[in-house]
Amino acid sequence: MSKPANVVLLIDDEPKIRRFLRAGFELNGFVVLEAENATEALKIATFSAPDLIVLDLALPDLHGAEVLERIRAWSNIPIIILSVAAGEDDKVRLLQAGADDYVVKPFGMAELLARSEAALRRYFKSATENPVVVAGPLSVDLVTRTVSLNQSLVRLTRKEYRLLHVLAMHVGLVVTHDQLLKDIWSGNQRDNIQYLRILVRKLRQKIESDPNQPRLLITESGVGYRLQNRFDPVPVADRVS
Amino acid sequence: MAADERRRPRALWRTVSPLLLSVLGVALFTVPLLAFSQSVATSLVPIAYLIPVIFAATRWGIWPAMVASIAAMAAADFFFFAPLYSFRVDDPQEAVDLLLFLIVSLVSSNLASRLRQETERLRRSEKDMQALYDFSRRLASCFTIADLIAAIQQHFALAFGHPATFFVTTSDGHIEPPDSRFAPPKVQSGAAAMNSGVGPMSRTIVDETRSELWLLRAISSDDTIHGVIAVNIGPGSQQAIATRTRRIEAILDETALTLQRLDIGKAMESARLHLQGQLLRDAFHGTLSHELCSPLAAIQGSASVLDSIPAIRSDPRMRALVDAISDETAQLDGYIRNLLSATRVTAGGLSPRLEWADPRDIVNGAARRRGRRLDAHRIEITFADDLPLLHLDSGLIEEACGQILENAAKYSPSGSTISVDVRPEPERVIIRVSDRGVGITQDEQGKLGRRSFRGARHQASVPGSGLGFWIASTFVHAHGGTISVKSRGQGQGTAVTIALPAAAPSPESMAFHE
Repeated sequence: MSKPANVVLLIDDEPKIRRFLRAGFELNGFVVLEAENATEALKIATFSAPDLIVLDLALPDLHGAEVLERIRAWSNIPIIILSVAAGEDDKVRLLQAGADDYVVKPFGMAELLARSEAALRRYFKSATENPVVVAGPLSVDLVTRTVSLNQSLVRLTRKEYRLLHVLAMHVGLVVTHDQLLKDIWSGNQRDNIQYLRILVRKLRQKIESDPNQPRLLITESGVGYRLQNRFDPVPVADRVS
Repeated sequence: MAADERRRPRALWRTVSPLLLSVLGVALFTVPLLAFSQSVATSLVPIAYLIPVIFAATRWGIWPAMVASIAAMAAADFFFFAPLYSFRVDDPQEAVDLLLFLIVSLVSSNLASRLRQETERLRRSEKDMQALYDFSRRLASCFTIADLIAAIQQHFALAFGHPATFFVTTSDGHIEPPDSRFAPPKVQSGAAAMNSGVGPMSRTIVDETRSELWLLRAISSDDTIHGVIAVNIGPGSQQAIATRTRRIEAILDETALTLQRLDIGKAMESARLHLQGQLLRDAFHGTLSHELCSPLAAIQGSASVLDSIPAIRSDPRMRALVDAISDETAQLDGYIRNLLSATRVTAGGLSPRLEWADPRDIVNGAARRRGRRLDAHRIEITFADDLPLLHLDSGLIEEACGQILENAAKYSPSGSTISVDVRPEPERVIIRVSDRGVGITQDEQGKLGRRSFRGARHQASVPGSGLGFWIASTFVHAHGGTISVKSRGQGQGTAVTIALPAAAPSPESMAFHE
């Protein structure tokens, strides 16, 4: 990594949770800062300029969503939300408010690290960097707009490519239905999720080895889609939602 | 009957005595007039006689007044008009005077008696109003139906001299006459009919054997009959009966209002209890999701950190321990989630958030979320090619499918196959989960839909709370779907079929993909 160690700010009022998060992040080469309430968190976020924030929604002094909003008012820093049993509506709202992704407690460290790395990659991606996004056997060249699967070219329609392009830009992160509809149709069809479902079905038929058991283009029920880029055996704790 | 014979002469006397008294009044008035006859002009005598006439009119009414008028005219003629002590009148002028006196006295006695009637009516209705007012004040302090009945009884006793008979509807729909000695059998059977809602809700029953007239009215609030009130109106003229009936109606109106209030009171009480239950559930929900989920998240997270350490991953014994922690925590988490879902369902907080979803995503999601709990089995999922999109809450249906998959894994041997078959049918999509497990007996099939039901055969050997199937079926039913279980019997495997309604997708969405 060209950069020195990434700095992560953990915002959670539970010492037990912070303890294992610290261990998990430190074992993976992060420098860890901690805050146990919103006031402290906002201070550290301002003065210590972390590279990533992991934010728990239940804080003693301020709701996590409020903290998210305040940080987003001046910074684009990647923020991953931790929450207990959040409903789909809450997830969508948080994502729309600028969260990069979320994990629902209880979660595994591997899942959180994957999300964190995806968010960091997206945040620090420079224009000069390799514009090819790789997800397993799939590679998407965002500049030449070519898609290949196991080194052979895949022909996509304009809309299919548009969908894949948006997901590839956020590879590893969830993208909400609203965001996708807006980016693909940008017009009067924006609120018709049926179009999106059908488009996803078509795209899966072209890029998935088994379109009925998708491994690349993952559905996040009630929230959106995610282009998966990590395929190590999924530990039991690694459950979305 | 003896009472009636005694009552009749008394009534006769009551009619005759005012007549006699008014004649007596005129006679008494004549004495001072005779004494001062020398100093009083003869033409003024008839005017003086108006006094006893009007007195009789205001005191006893029109008939005694008329009798008094005639008696006064006769007395004036006899004692004061020439020829004296004879009923003959010689002077035509005097005859006109007497006739004029008769007309004036009749008219004024008529007016006076009408005034008297009016006053009396006002006084009576004031008394009625007062009684009704007292009654409604008494009703205002009623908090139970029993209070209300007591108030009615007392009021009737005051107003009519004898208590009303009240037939109370008991909770099992029977009626309970408080003291049936008072009510003749005919009245009792009439009350019973009204209580069961047969026939008109107000009727009059004549009991010939006792020559009594009974008025029956159902006491009901909006939708329930609380009882029937039976009142012995007693004898009397048609007008008297009509008056009494009106008074009874007024009382019953008050009663109905009070009953409504009591109903509102009951509704408020049940709302209060409901709110209390809701708060308790919310507290339970909060406790579950915070006090239990938080430590679990810490355990789960810590285990996952350990799991990522190469030294531990490479040591099979260490790995087994870490895996055990993860598995057990995942199971605990599953129970907590079930309890949360169950409280959500019981609290009536289940409002599906509908969106268009691909059934493939739902079934795959369910299998993916169950993760390692399905690892010991081969999961074979087959999708038909032409599956329509479904309009549903994908989170809830995914949970329902997950519960069914988990049950299939729990009750079938490790290594066996669980097959999931998803296919469209006209206007619905069928998700069928079949296992090759222990199956269920006929008896168990009937009890499956119940909350917390667990087959007795497995309670010792298979962990679980018995909530799974109940949650699944509640979620499916909330979408207008059905869920059914088939098993050819013990050891023959189980097939659970979920049928979800499929709205026809709009034609544009079928054509649209470019």
